[in-house]
Amino acid sequence: MGQTVEESLNQEASAQGTSAGPQLPGPFAVGRYARKLQEEMRKRARVQLIGEVTGVSRSKVQAYFELRDGEGAVPCAIWLNDLEKAGLSDGALRDGAEVVISGGPDYYPGGGQASPSFSFRATHVRLAGEGDLIARLEALRKQLRAEGLFELQKQLARPLLPKTIGVVTAERGAARRDLLAGLERRGWGGSVVWAFAPVQDRHAAPAIGLALQDLAARPEVEAIVVTRGGGSLADLWAFCDETLCRTVAMLRVPVVSAVGHERDSTLIDDVAAVACSTPTHAAEAAVPLDCLAARGSLERCALALRRAGEGAIDARSRHLGALARGPARALQRQRSDLNQKIREIRAATERGVADRASFQRRIGTVVLERARRRALGADMERRREGLKRAAVALRAHEPERTLERGYALVEGEGGEPLTSAAEAGAAERISLRFSDGRVRAKPERDGEA
Amino acid sequence: MDASEQSQSVTAKPDSYEAAVERLEEIIDRLDSGQAGLRETLDLCKEGKELVGYCAAELDEVGEGLKELNLDALAARLDSPPEAA
Repeated sequence: MGQTVEESLNQEASAQGTSAGPQLPGPFAVGRYARKLQEEMRKRARVQLIGEVTGVSRSKVQAYFELRDGEGAVPCAIWLNDLEKAGLSDGALRDGAEVVISGGPDYYPGGGQASPSFSFRATHVRLAGEGDLIARLEALRKQLRAEGLFELQKQLARPLLPKTIGVVTAERGAARRDLLAGLERRGWGGSVVWAFAPVQDRHAAPAIGLALQDLAARPEVEAIVVTRGGGSLADLWAFCDETLCRTVAMLRVPVVSAVGHERDSTLIDDVAAVACSTPTHAAEAAVPLDCLAARGSLERCALALRRAGEGAIDARSRHLGALARGPARALQRQRSDLNQKIREIRAATERGVADRASFQRRIGTVVLERARRRALGADMERRREGLKRAAVALRAHEPERTLERGYALVEGEGGEPLTSAAEAGAAERISLRFSDGRVRAKPERDGEA
Repeated sequence: MDASEQSQSVTAKPDSYEAAVERLEEIIDRLDSGQAGLRETLDLCKEGKELVGYCAAELDEVGEGLKELNLDALAARLDSPPEAA
């Protein structure tokens, strides 16, 4: 870049011999300053700018508009013949249109009656293509992600059954109807607080941001849905607004976004707590609980609880009953066992007694036998001794012993002893038996002699 | 609920529907396990019934038909001065 406006004017002032003053250059004639300013502006590099068109107006020869985004704006002007050369369809250069313009800064110095003005002199204009917007979107996305703004909303707790939800959408749009249908399909009959806002022009992003903040400020609002129908990325561009997305990220109420269709991806989807592809899905995300199903589930829970309570008592009653009968059963069992044991003992005893008796009989027999044998031996001895003694006694009484001592035995003829004188006197013959033999004799009776 | 019934309540009011449902699932799991004793079973059943009642009341609150409010109208209502009695 060459000299500044001031340097250029200073050179002219020096050549004319005028003093610029002790501290600041000048004073310069303002008209000349303005023309120099115009020259300097026109020397600046030509560039392309992308932004949203606002405030379009036309004169006989030019079209005027502002090109802006979330950070600032530049007033623009384009000659109508340049605009025609650009080949835009009628009305394409309208408020809210995303365009790419080529040109450079310009300054109109004004005149005696005309006001001066700065503008970006566009020599070419085209509607921003998806590629342009996507590139801008990606840059912004990268920046917000790096700042951690994508995570803030996702860390918020979302109520399962909110009683009041806020909705930001266009007042007349299919999204509103679809969202209501989705809520009713879940059997949800809470309160919806509508915050209607434009959803497609330069006013959309600020209005949506304001609506979100107002809804979030209401204590009864537990979740907020932002929704609109589908469209081109340019149509949805308000939902990629940096300021809006920063606002969403900082809200303490969870935001559910449902902007465009499934394939559309706006920046608000990234910063929201939940991004949905349709308003119907947004209804499900804002009210996660299917109220119809929940009622059925609750009834089952209540039934399970009742059964558990009653069942626990019944089961324990049965158990108690069983326990109560237990001692009697145990006694009976013990008694049976005892009886069995008694029978076994008795049987065993009988067997034992029999065995013992048998044994004892055997033993007794043996002992008796032995005793008998012993007794028999002693008896025989005794008898033998008795016999011996008897024999001795007998022998002592034998007539032979007497005969041996000199006595004689008188016997009849038949050998019978004659123990009296009468018997001997009566016998015809007698025999006198001595120890060493017999002597026959004939008794002499008195009178025969 | 009168004072005596309140004093008999074994549980405090849940913080939220999801907290109530979570506790209810714990209770059902515990009862299904068959490991709870009689006293615990009866206490759990009582607590569970209270939670079911709470959840049913919460569902009832959003079961009477969807109500639509307008934020601008709500804001205007708040901004307007209270009417003289």
